[in-house]
Amino acid sequence: MRKFVMGAVCAAGMLGASSASAETLTAGVEAAFPPWAYVEEGEYKGIAIDAMRAIAEDQGLDVEFKDLPWPSLIPALAKGKIDLLVTGLNVTKERAEVLDFSIPWWENDDEVLVSADSDLNVVTALCCGATVGAQGGSTQFGWIEANLVEADTGVELRGYEDYVTAVEDMNTGRIDSVVTSTDTAETLISKGQPVKIVGTIQQNQPQALAVQEGDPNELLGKLNAGIMNIYKSGQWEQIVHKYQPQASIRIIPTTMPDYVDSYKKPIPGYSE
Amino acid sequence: MIWEIIWNQMPYLLHGLWIALQLLAALLSLGLVLGLALALIEIYGHWTLRWTGILFERVFRGVPAVVLLLLFYYGVTDFIEMSSFMAAVLALGLRSTAYQSQIFRGAIQSVPQGQMMAAQAMGMGRARAVGWIILPQALRHAIGPWTNEFSSELKATSLAYVIGVVELTRQGKYIVSSTQGNVLIVFGVVALMYFVVNRLGNWALYKFEGRITVPGFERRAA
Repeated sequence: MRKFVMGAVCAAGMLGASSASAETLTAGVEAAFPPWAYVEEGEYKGIAIDAMRAIAEDQGLDVEFKDLPWPSLIPALAKGKIDLLVTGLNVTKERAEVLDFSIPWWENDDEVLVSADSDLNVVTALCCGATVGAQGGSTQFGWIEANLVEADTGVELRGYEDYVTAVEDMNTGRIDSVVTSTDTAETLISKGQPVKIVGTIQQNQPQALAVQEGDPNELLGKLNAGIMNIYKSGQWEQIVHKYQPQASIRIIPTTMPDYVDSYKKPIPGYSE
Repeated sequence: MIWEIIWNQMPYLLHGLWIALQLLAALLSLGLVLGLALALIEIYGHWTLRWTGILFERVFRGVPAVVLLLLFYYGVTDFIEMSSFMAAVLALGLRSTAYQSQIFRGAIQSVPQGQMMAAQAMGMGRARAVGWIILPQALRHAIGPWTNEFSSELKATSLAYVIGVVELTRQGKYIVSSTQGNVLIVFGVVALMYFVVNRLGNWALYKFEGRITVPGFERRAA
């Protein structure tokens, strides 16, 4: 019994220790999302992680990372459990209503993946009785739902917590194809997953960092200025090429959709 | 190659296991203290206390663990600032309180009624009789069913990753995502780790039960 009492004392101690100091910002990440954010050898790695560290250094911010599963990230930001969201986050209209985006630093298309030994082509992989997988809550999931499922093409859509399990499911033959973003698809192939790309869906999908709606901590100005600084200094290119050697660097900011409030001028830290 | 990765990642898996064990120890202790109190209230308490206790116990036994975790992390923390770990201790600990209260209630009620009467006939007050006569027997009876609670809560700690507690299951997930696959092997190893801890814990609890057995006193058949 004494052991248990000690456990309770330990737990009480942790409560005191873990209450975050006011100046440290908590950046929510989904650490199962290479090449943007993942954990290897017990350390956070990835394009978004390294870039955020560079921005923090540039702007004198103190940032700590907190890992939450993907479906929890946006609610956690909306609730203020985290101060900013750092991952390969796509800019969408729905998300723009519940959070504020930094200037976009990346653009993505979607890739249609099938098993390496599959005979399916881009049409048969996405039509007429095909079962398609995507990460639940992702833009790819929304796109398939709106453009294929609701258009009665006979496609069955399955949502997964992450795309690694979606691809595993495809390789055991339970689903026919998986739709992921371009850099996810490239990472999967470079890590030796037996999959191939049969088609690209041109999306020019911008990606950005995000803060709480209304930017209560006044972070957007610093993030935007930091993004521009690491872009201009060439640090951004170094970081991207460390993880994706072949990736082409987009001009920052990439396309800024006009449905995003935080892209209406003046944009703090970018065009005052 | 994947075995090499798992071997290299073992320190992180063990760290995840350590977090899981801390969570387990904290939630079981919380459940032990409150669960015992709740059992005593449900048996000996004034009817208002008794009904409050029963209501609490029904609610926490009737809501899924994941839902409780989300409720505590996103709901309760609006009023009280706390970490993911603390939210997990409270959510799972209060749920364990509800289950443990039923283990202790059953154990206390399994002590024959006549013992209370005999104790009172010898001049003991009710509280004294509970403390010196009923509980020493009841707690010994409770160990058997309590091993089940231990096992089930150990497994429940794996749910805490949904609110950002990086325990064993989440560490396994990290390996899966940084190597982009190997789901079966990684979670096979994780499963084995849970299994070993589970068996060790049960073994220790039965050992403990054997050690505190009163010679000649009725004992659960092994």
